[in-house]
Amino acid sequence: MADQFVVLDNGGSTCKIGLSLQHLPVSVFPNGAGKVKGERQPLVGDQLLACGDMSTVNIRRPIDRGFVVNGDLEREIWGRAFRSVLRVDPAQSSLLLTEAPFALPAVADLTAQLVFEEFGFQSCLKLPAANLALRAHGRDQPGIAANRAACGLVVDAGFSFTHVVPVFDGHAISSGIKRINIGGKLLTNYLKELVSYRSMNMMEETYLMEHVKEQACFVSTDLKADLLTSRPSRGPHRREYVLPDGVNSTTGFLRVPAEARAGASRQQASSEQVLTMNNERFLVPEVLFSPGDLGLQQAGLAETILQAVEGVHEHLHPLLLSNILLTGGTAACPGFAQRLLADLRPFVSDEYEVGVYMPEDPITCAHRGGAMLAASPAFAQAAMTRQMYEEEGAARLQSMTADD
Amino acid sequence: MSGGKSASRRSGRDKKTAQKVAVVGKAERQQAATARLDRLEDDQDAAEILGQQSDDEFRLEDSDEGPQPGEGRKRKKGAKRPGAKRKTRGQLAEQRGPKSFATMLDEADLEDAPEDAQNYLTAAAAPSVYPAHRWCSVCGFAAPYKCVRCGSQCCSRKCFGVHSETRCLKFTM
Repeated sequence: MADQFVVLDNGGSTCKIGLSLQHLPVSVFPNGAGKVKGERQPLVGDQLLACGDMSTVNIRRPIDRGFVVNGDLEREIWGRAFRSVLRVDPAQSSLLLTEAPFALPAVADLTAQLVFEEFGFQSCLKLPAANLALRAHGRDQPGIAANRAACGLVVDAGFSFTHVVPVFDGHAISSGIKRINIGGKLLTNYLKELVSYRSMNMMEETYLMEHVKEQACFVSTDLKADLLTSRPSRGPHRREYVLPDGVNSTTGFLRVPAEARAGASRQQASSEQVLTMNNERFLVPEVLFSPGDLGLQQAGLAETILQAVEGVHEHLHPLLLSNILLTGGTAACPGFAQRLLADLRPFVSDEYEVGVYMPEDPITCAHRGGAMLAASPAFAQAAMTRQMYEEEGAARLQSMTADD
Repeated sequence: MSGGKSASRRSGRDKKTAQKVAVVGKAERQQAATARLDRLEDDQDAAEILGQQSDDEFRLEDSDEGPQPGEGRKRKKGAKRPGAKRKTRGQLAEQRGPKSFATMLDEADLEDAPEDAQNYLTAAAAPSVYPAHRWCSVCGFAAPYKCVRCGSQCCSRKCFGVHSETRCLKFTM
């Protein structure tokens, strides 16, 4: 029997890692390696957090389009996480790993190989993050009827893409899983593109733009009204992002333009560089609700939810719609839940209840659920041991994730 | 005879005018849109990083841990014909570093999979039944007009002026 259970939510942007038995705070660090100018050694994983000025770092990520493709790089990052962050011996532990649904066989092989051959874990269970998030949600809100059946629809709006996953009795229903190829990375790049064209060239500053996006972007609940009010050049949605100058500050901040005119002295104002944003603030996240705007031939989030619900048995429809859980970093964008509810309500028959829930920790929610699962006996039943892997190969691990 | 000559001359002039008002066809527009979506999915400074891959110091060491599974077989194959000097395509690909997800997707041949099974391709959300919004490519507000040459959307004469000066037919960014 394993001494310790490692729970690793291996996201496109960040790794969320922790042990299940102790209630340690989960460590969140970039899933990538970056090189600072002038340094020989790349910074790997959590070392990037310690790096003061991230704007000069080029980050290389092992995950492409949401799946692990660079095994060597991922091995470095995980190795560091197990050794230095958690201080565990993989040979004495079990691993609960998240993997996006419908991983290609080549990807699933790659991760299984890493887990068992490179690190030698005793056993491993791979699940989509959605199952785990719903588990945590079930504990948070036991009052919701659907949670008693461990049933719900998880919207995982992550860094690489957005998944809509119907879950019943703790298992994802594969016929209903739908994916929109839009995630936080695309939104950041889109904002970068718009700002570079309209205000100032930021094409080289992806890291900074990610910060700008988190600070400035919101999801409009009434698009027409918001467009109308932002039409005059001094509309209420107008914001300025003061860029870091590298001397006084390494991170920028957002402010209302009028404030600058009243407060700061003229000279100070002229020395700082400012990005002005207006309708970009809500038109960028809007893409997720209407991907056609960017030329992506996919349905928006509300329609995708309906497609996902159509893919499962009719009797589950009311349960799923009454318990929609939003997770992932992109879902943390202000106004996301209200907008989704407003979009979805007209599509759904009025005899059904529509409930949209957002956990307090949309990013680490899946990890929390994973820690709960790893501590339960269900883990040992479902997990694949190293012995099984050696005898049967990766095929079994794949079939298991497909059923769940 | 002279009639034929003048006809050819006229056709040449037609061609010149046609080039001036060149319109980018539907297929090319679609291609440009797809390329743009791909670029939006790229990691930061992808081009720069690609250039760095040949740089030894940034590469994480990967070859000194003994043969990887699958590698042994290839070595034997190579040993069979020691005279081969040219690098095969496969070897070149290996040198270029890890495969991208798109390559893996190609190799997985999901299009040939049985229809009732769920896979990566079938899980993609279907196209919307509603039309997309049209935003001005310059200022971002609702755009009723389209550039006749490249198909970008514009909201006003002012924005169209900016568009034709900076972005028209360039498909940059």
